[in-house]
Amino acid sequence: MDSNMCQTSKSFDSETAEADASYEEENEHEIATAEFGEEEELKPVDSRPNPQLWITRNSSHADFDDDLENINISNFFHRVDSDQIIYQSKKRRLKLVGKYVMGDLLGEGSYGKVKEMLDSETLCRRAVKILKQRKLRRIPNGEQNVQREIKLLRKLDHKNVIKLFDELHNYEKQKMYLIMEFCVGSLQTMLDSTPDKKFPLWQAHDYFLQLIEGLEYLHSMRIIHKDIKPGNLLLSLENQLKISDLGVAETIDLFAKDDTCFIGQGSPAFQPPEIANGLEFFPGFKVDIWSSGVTLYNITTGRYPFEGDNIYRLFESIGKGVFTIPPEIQEPLRDLLLGMLEKDPYARFSLQRIKRHTWCTRQPSPEGLPKVPVPPLRGDMWHSLTVLPYLIEHYYDEPLEDASEDDGSQHEYITERQLNEMDERRKQRDRTFVVAENSNGNAQSSSSSSKKSSRWKKTISCMSFKTIPGCKQS
Amino acid sequence: MPLFGKSTKGPAEVVKALKEAVNSLEKGDKKAEKAQEDVSKNLVLIKNMLYGTSDAEPQADIIVAQLAQELYNSNLLLLLIQNLNRIDFEGKKDVAQVFNNILRRQIGTRSPTVEYICTKPEILFTLMTGYEHQEIALNCGTMLRECARYEALAKIMLYSDDFYNFFRYVEVSTFDIASDAFSTFKELLTRHKVLCADFLETNYDKVFSHYQRLLNSENYVTRRQSLKLLGELLLDRHNFTVMTRYISNPENLKLMMNMLKERSRNIQFEAFHVFKVFVANPNKPKPILDILLRNQEKLVDFLMRFHTDRAEDEQFNDEKAYLIRQIKELKPIQGH
Repeated sequence: MDSNMCQTSKSFDSETAEADASYEEENEHEIATAEFGEEEELKPVDSRPNPQLWITRNSSHADFDDDLENINISNFFHRVDSDQIIYQSKKRRLKLVGKYVMGDLLGEGSYGKVKEMLDSETLCRRAVKILKQRKLRRIPNGEQNVQREIKLLRKLDHKNVIKLFDELHNYEKQKMYLIMEFCVGSLQTMLDSTPDKKFPLWQAHDYFLQLIEGLEYLHSMRIIHKDIKPGNLLLSLENQLKISDLGVAETIDLFAKDDTCFIGQGSPAFQPPEIANGLEFFPGFKVDIWSSGVTLYNITTGRYPFEGDNIYRLFESIGKGVFTIPPEIQEPLRDLLLGMLEKDPYARFSLQRIKRHTWCTRQPSPEGLPKVPVPPLRGDMWHSLTVLPYLIEHYYDEPLEDASEDDGSQHEYITERQLNEMDERRKQRDRTFVVAENSNGNAQSSSSSSKKSSRWKKTISCMSFKTIPGCKQS
Repeated sequence: MPLFGKSTKGPAEVVKALKEAVNSLEKGDKKAEKAQEDVSKNLVLIKNMLYGTSDAEPQADIIVAQLAQELYNSNLLLLLIQNLNRIDFEGKKDVAQVFNNILRRQIGTRSPTVEYICTKPEILFTLMTGYEHQEIALNCGTMLRECARYEALAKIMLYSDDFYNFFRYVEVSTFDIASDAFSTFKELLTRHKVLCADFLETNYDKVFSHYQRLLNSENYVTRRQSLKLLGELLLDRHNFTVMTRYISNPENLKLMMNMLKERSRNIQFEAFHVFKVFVANPNKPKPILDILLRNQEKLVDFLMRFHTDRAEDEQFNDEKAYLIRQIKELKPIQGH
């Protein structure tokens, strides 16, 4: 099925905007270092004397100019054949936003990037959603949806709903930082990493119960999520499910007699028949029941109950409400799916009924298929703290850099041969250093991922080079 | 028997030995010291069967099933709880651990221990009175909260007369016990939404006359916590009927208005979140409207100066502005 069918309708138009925006982003930051040995990916900040300095974007260029005269000319014009040049890896520079230390990219949503962060006061791991006003404006209702989401998230506090801890603004850069709970991935990314696009039943059971808990809380707060789908269900490091993305959620009035809703937003494939048929009004809470039903169907079978080549066909099929459940799905799950995907919203199961359903109350046996893990982030299956290397770099930079001179890496460019030599040396050291760094194994195969393994000890990194002498920030 | 060696005793023997030891502990004869020792030893044995040790896995399901069956048949769970104050410090913790583990046991969709306790509700009532004894209050608290997770057990507790003792327990002078009692109390009132809503509706008068006392408590923590919980209960969609009933009573409005003027800013703030519901109500009964009208100007004036330093809290300011507008626009019902 068209992947768009699983996207929230709000983000339809964002796809293209996203593509070119992120391209600009690339240009801004990820400059290969062949021309200038010291262009940095991240804003160079020497945050020791003034941690807030990062806001002034142009400081690096100023420094560069200042230091030109100090450059060791012979070093600068060191002759290397072009095919032998290896680009310098990203320079890790500590970046602070408020009291938060920036880490690596976790993912990209329709509104902007999501990066890891560390709260420097509580040392809690966080994720930050970086929203750019420029991008937001291009999305229909973008700014409105974000404001609504922030307002909602602030008053919510439940273990199965994503938490918003803080909200920072940088008016100069027109950026907004939403500091949220740290999560390792969504159910969708996990499904995508498997061949069958489904979970073993016992794992699906675990997630589904948590979804129901979170949903019950949202409904008790009079919130209809309207966009429940595997892509919006995140997992914490402790495997706790977090309902996220309340961008199209609706709060019903405190004094409303019932949960009648008039607007249907959300991802087409997860919409109930009453919305697909364009009904004028419908009971809101039952919308979430339906999409949770589609979600359950999806994570247990790897398929969707309703499909269509385009949105019209899809809605036609949903509107009829006729679907089949693969024969491998047995009772009582069959009955639960039928109850949640009941065409008539009034006859559809309530949360209470779902919670009491035999499939939910029965503890499933963890036998059968093995657990589907959260896919590794850039080769790191343990999702280690990505902020740490920046901190190490920042605080232990000087002595380690000196030590690396023995490595023969005083050149700012490096050849294949030198790389191999260093790789060899690094392997030897790895044997002597017993460091519990889990990504070491795959790091040795490719140089691109080696930066992950080298985060603990700068000296053994094959990608750590001394920058041009004198160009170093003091 | 070797002190640290592997026990060869089966579940039936351990349960029997433990029961005898608890019985003699209860009698308090001169062999009490020996009994105390036996109780601790056998408790550890049972605990290890359920949880395993650093070098032994927990026992196989069949053994655990036997153990559970023995515990039910011998009525030992109740006996242990009744004599909890006589058991030594570590033993008390072991009882709680054993109890909670056995409680969580599931066979298919059944929870046999939950079913067992339903037939022996004394266990729950004994646990609840545990809050009256300082030395066992917290152990009973952990067991009670584990029980409260099961709807059937929560229902028994809510609908029992003993539930109203909680209004006393949450106010006791020992802070840790009062807090523990409050968290159990809150769990019982919020965990199973539909059950709780039904309970509050059917027992509205009794519960809220008791609740009123918490809100008027001398104890600052009690006042603040109970006010916060009240706000949560009223704003929960499941308790819609309860809310409409609560906000139609002028006495409740008066109480909230007085709490808005409390010395503590935290209490003022929590009171604001209940007060706003009275004002936002589109169908205010006459007595409520009368009170608001009588204080119209004073309220507007008061709210204008209310927590003005919370500038960063957008939601609060929006709500405050909304309330001020609402109160300003209040008009007597036509024909009066």
